[in-house]
Amino acid sequence: MKNMPIENTAHSEKTSKIPAHTTKRSASERSKSSALTLRRMTLALFLVTALAAASSYAETKTQDVRIAFLGEKGGDAWAGAEQGIAEANAQGKFLGLRYVLLQAEDADSVRGLSPSAVIAATSALRMSRLAADVAPIPVLNTTAEDDELRQACEANAFHVIPSFAMREDALFQWRRKSPDGGVRALAWHPLFEKYAAAQLNKRYTETTGRQMNDVSWAGWAAVRIVAESIARGGTSLPEAVGEHMRTELAFDGQKGTDMSFRETGQLRQPLLLVKDTEIVGEAPVRGVVDPSNLDSLGLPGCLK
Amino acid sequence: MKYLTALLFIISPFVVQADAGRIFVTNEQGDSVSVINGADNTVIKTIPIGKRPRGIGISPDGGEVYVAVSGDNLIAVIDPENLEVTRTFASGDDPEAFAVHKNGNIYISNEEDAKASVFDPKTGALVAEIEVGIEPEGVAISADGHRVVVTSESTNMLHIIDVPEHTIARNILVGARPRAATFSADGKTVYATSEISGEVKKVDVATGEILGRMPLSDDKAKPKDVLLSNDGTRLFVAGGRANRIFVLDAEALTILKSVKVGKRVWGLALNADGTRLYTTDGVDHQVSVIDTSKLEVVATVPVGKFPWGIVVKN
Repeated sequence: MKNMPIENTAHSEKTSKIPAHTTKRSASERSKSSALTLRRMTLALFLVTALAAASSYAETKTQDVRIAFLGEKGGDAWAGAEQGIAEANAQGKFLGLRYVLLQAEDADSVRGLSPSAVIAATSALRMSRLAADVAPIPVLNTTAEDDELRQACEANAFHVIPSFAMREDALFQWRRKSPDGGVRALAWHPLFEKYAAAQLNKRYTETTGRQMNDVSWAGWAAVRIVAESIARGGTSLPEAVGEHMRTELAFDGQKGTDMSFRETGQLRQPLLLVKDTEIVGEAPVRGVVDPSNLDSLGLPGCLK
Repeated sequence: MKYLTALLFIISPFVVQADAGRIFVTNEQGDSVSVINGADNTVIKTIPIGKRPRGIGISPDGGEVYVAVSGDNLIAVIDPENLEVTRTFASGDDPEAFAVHKNGNIYISNEEDAKASVFDPKTGALVAEIEVGIEPEGVAISADGHRVVVTSESTNMLHIIDVPEHTIARNILVGARPRAATFSADGKTVYATSEISGEVKKVDVATGEILGRMPLSDDKAKPKDVLLSNDGTRLFVAGGRANRIFVLDAEALTILKSVKVGKRVWGLALNADGTRLYTTDGVDHQVSVIDTSKLEVVATVPVGKFPWGIVVKN
């Protein structure tokens, strides 16, 4: 919160400070000077009181939290993120916070928005460049699945969408249990009902008319992760938000377990195994590995 | 002999009438309510009730049992003596859990509407609606009736609501997916379970300060119902997929013991003198009966499919 510059006695005294060797002032000059000082003090007191009242009013006003979005407006990630914003505000209204999603075209416009975080729905290359250009603002990747992007291990890059390696590991585990081909590994599915998935799918479809898929789930989750970090950390400053995400986050993504970020910036998460339109299983696959071992999917650490 | 028979005739009604209490259980997928005789732990009746019954509660005078029939968006009223459904009333969308105020009103969490609604069950009239966070679930009322707590699972908060103003006094961030909550007897403290963070938190109602926090020792634990013992010294927590009841010291929140029950235990209810704790073991389709001084299961009662809520009529 900016402080208004105010005139005060200290300021007046500084500018009227008289070096020791100058002549003393006359009595009338002294009394005029003290009357002026008294007026200045009264004015100062008035301004200090007014400012105090203004700042306490400002404290009860809602604080805007900006989240930037780089990607196609109206696409799946955008729609998921907007759902996330509505839900973040359902919490934010009890905390004096108002979240808003703002589209940006490039790193310069992102920085111009002074956001708490950026959501990216773009290619791996643009994602990587953006993270480097806007550091330390955290950038959350909702679309690029490249493993190399994770292995770059950029401190402010966070990958909500699963990597190729995670999907491959899920399929590998599934085939150990059930050797049929034609199964896909997904982050989300519109028919997912377990845990609180049914509630999220219902809310999203009622609001947007769409079915939630991997990318829209990632857009939703990215916003909810940022909001969670702000609510728990108590600050919307981007560096602090990134720090909370790296070190403290325990995110309920409505997939039944709490999720956190690896040192690669990848969000650990369960995956769904889907054949045609039916969910046939979940990974990590029970019976093959411990289902709570989320690091059995994908590369857990930075190789370099 | 005739004299003895005559004597037995006089005595026997009193023997049969021993005050045992009845336990009412909602069967979420059985679309029914099972009624258990507390004296011998047998099922007296299974009452068909409508789609997806979940929350259950009892009026202050014990004269009516209320059931939240989530799939039909209504509250069904059961006479606990003749075990018939006497009436139903509309309850707002998807009523999941509720609590009964000592003035008779019912406070319901409307899971899909981010609201809690207040109904007068005598008339079915909507008394108030209060906006809370997303996916409200647990509802509890302080003994003096001045405060209600509602948990919102997706917003990760407890909302403390003033009665009768029905305004929110305080919102408190807790662990991920808070499910159930309960007040201490003096109404100054709330205990709440969080499913995804697998913990119990103890919160000061007036300040919102977190007074204590205990993660449950089993990482499969997705805790749900939480109840204080009658003397307020112990906390019983239904451990969900940990398939056990955790018994905590209510002051320090240290775990004193865990009692193994059936699979996916969610609901808890105590009898009037606090000697018996009843649990709904959803995936095993049964109720476990625990002796609260020995902390042992003394009986299991098969009920309908996926038992959810439970209440004791004494």
